[in-house]
Amino acid sequence: MNNLILLFFEFFKVGLFTFGGGYASLPFLYNMIDTYHWFTHFELTQFIAIAGLTPGPVGLNMATFAGYNTEGIFGSLVASIALIIPMIIITSFVFKLYKKFSQNEYIKTILYVLRPTSCALLTFVGIKLFKNLIIFPKDYLALILALILFLMTFRFPRNPAVYLFGGALFGIFVWFLKALM
Amino acid sequence: MEKINSINLFKAFFKIGLILLGGGYVIVPVIEDILIKKRNWLNSDELINFYCVAQCLPGIVAINTSVLTGYKLYKLKGALIAVFGLCLSPFVSIIIIAKCISYIIKIPFIESIFWGVDVAVIVLIYLALRDIWQKSMTDKFCYIWFFIILFLSFSKINPAILIFISLVLGFSIQKIKENRL
Repeated sequence: MNNLILLFFEFFKVGLFTFGGGYASLPFLYNMIDTYHWFTHFELTQFIAIAGLTPGPVGLNMATFAGYNTEGIFGSLVASIALIIPMIIITSFVFKLYKKFSQNEYIKTILYVLRPTSCALLTFVGIKLFKNLIIFPKDYLALILALILFLMTFRFPRNPAVYLFGGALFGIFVWFLKALM
Repeated sequence: MEKINSINLFKAFFKIGLILLGGGYVIVPVIEDILIKKRNWLNSDELINFYCVAQCLPGIVAINTSVLTGYKLYKLKGALIAVFGLCLSPFVSIIIIAKCISYIIKIPFIESIFWGVDVAVIVLIYLALRDIWQKSMTDKFCYIWFFIILFLSFSKINPAILIFISLVLGFSIQKIKENRL
């Protein structure tokens, strides 16, 4: 029970304070590992992979998964609902004044400060994943894959599915090579 | 043109949730296909506006965009139905996957796929970052603030606190500016 309340509280915070899309909620999830030990680093990378490969918003998928891992079905319900509530409230509210909203000087200045913050938080997660997946395990294959996918960004600029399936294909390829050896 | 009522709205957003893969801006082409081309409920200018506003708001961009679209089509009820429809199929599929993940993950083949996808996520984070970088880093202050936040993230400070500090700082800067005028 106690855990459910904490889950609600934590994911409400994620919904309220994430700026810049699904992957921007990752810093919060990493922080949960250190604070609550609801899941491990390894499990979190599983959540990320599955959230990306499954239909639906990545941020929501990660919350559902993390909630399930912590407290079963109720956990996933609580985490998802808590994540969504702030968005429904704030966004519905903004709809009514959305022309004024984008012109407001306060909002402009706040976003001016907030955007570099989001960039920094995302960079932090990127570095962390790079360390955990490539540098610490000294995984040269992962480095090669990362380089290939990076080069692909010049050709297929935006569609995330291309990279997720590219990564999955490379994974199958590596598995095949290892099976042959 | 299909009539806009609760059931049709739910069906439309359920479909969106079913084919939305990868999160972030992907919601735009998906909504364009399902709500604009197939149903003519919305026009592209509105959608782009919604998407831009959704990006400035806290939370997941895909969900915020759906709230705005749902609200426009059928008021608050529409917003709620849109989010419910959007989240239903991802939620169910994640629960099913989460239930059998502990069996699946031990298969070396699947493990290898996850490994590839995890590496791909690093590139996706880079792409997300590149998307917001130009809009975010407009002057010297932005770079200084970026490095301050990056440094603080490495000291394991809760990201919600960092976002909150940024909100307060942005608000104060605007307040000072106005007092000077």
